[in-house]
Amino acid sequence: MNMRLGALALLLLWPALAAVSDIDPNKTAGNPSAPVTVQIFSDFECPACKVFHDRSLPQLQRDFVATGKVYLVYREFPLPIHAHSREAANYAVAAARLSLYQPVADALFRDQFAWSVNGKVWDTVASVLTLSQQKKVKAAADGPSVLGEILREVNLGHAVPVTSTPTLVVSRGSKTYPVSGTLNYAILKSLIDDLLK
Amino acid sequence: MLVLRIALGAVFVYAAWTKLRTPWELFAMSIDSYQLLPLKAVELVARTLPWFELAVGLLLIAGFWLRSAAAATALLLAVFFGLMVRAYAKGMEIPCGCFGPNDIISWKTLLRDGSMLAAALALTALSFLRRRNATAR
Repeated sequence: MNMRLGALALLLLWPALAAVSDIDPNKTAGNPSAPVTVQIFSDFECPACKVFHDRSLPQLQRDFVATGKVYLVYREFPLPIHAHSREAANYAVAAARLSLYQPVADALFRDQFAWSVNGKVWDTVASVLTLSQQKKVKAAADGPSVLGEILREVNLGHAVPVTSTPTLVVSRGSKTYPVSGTLNYAILKSLIDDLLK
Repeated sequence: MLVLRIALGAVFVYAAWTKLRTPWELFAMSIDSYQLLPLKAVELVARTLPWFELAVGLLLIAGFWLRSAAAATALLLAVFFGLMVRAYAKGMEIPCGCFGPNDIISWKTLLRDGSMLAAALALTALSFLRRRNATAR
């Protein structure tokens, strides 16, 4: 009987558990035991993702991550409609192996318009790496470990389901809410404040 | 007419339920995506519209104040449909806010809401015609 109840509880909680599992610690920010977790499913070539990265993310970091209230998890969700987003994700995840995810992600979003037009993704990535780091990132980018991680995260996104980027999955305990759209920071802040109450 | 009002009423009750079971901010995010209203108005609509949808849906199912409920349904759907067509024409890839946050505007959502609007207009016309016929007798 207890086993059946346990299995039922696991089944009911599975979406929430699956949603915050499989975390690459090099693609996170903040305290892992923070009460609220925010997963960001993003595509480096998506203009709305750049807007979120440039405008809302710094505020989220300042108000909630730096204060230990939110644990941020970055998830790759390269969309097939974008020609270079998969390559960009490969480099970013490879850079995460050297704890360099954030500078590479920042550079990719900073130069998004240029590399999405000319296809020179590597030039942007290389601009924030030393020569030895460049060699390591280049070698790892097409490796099974990096490709496998991206595939897992894309599958996690499909399970949410992520239907547009960026999509945030905001969770506290068993409460999990996918948030998409323009991701107005004032509304996002209100949601997180309500979850923290 | 019975089928139309029960079907539309059920859709409205379901639409309200998908919004009321989650924090109001999720619906607010969808409304804000249309980039039409100031933040205060977005919050007001996000907090009140689901209750209005629920009331209209229940009135349709129960058959009370049918002409008013049908007309309100048609008016609401006309507004929703107009806003969705505008967003689609502008190439905005945003959630429509119809049944939760993952319903991105596409030709499928337009077809669905367009059909609902046609049904609501038919129900409104039928309910007024029935009233007129009853008065004529």
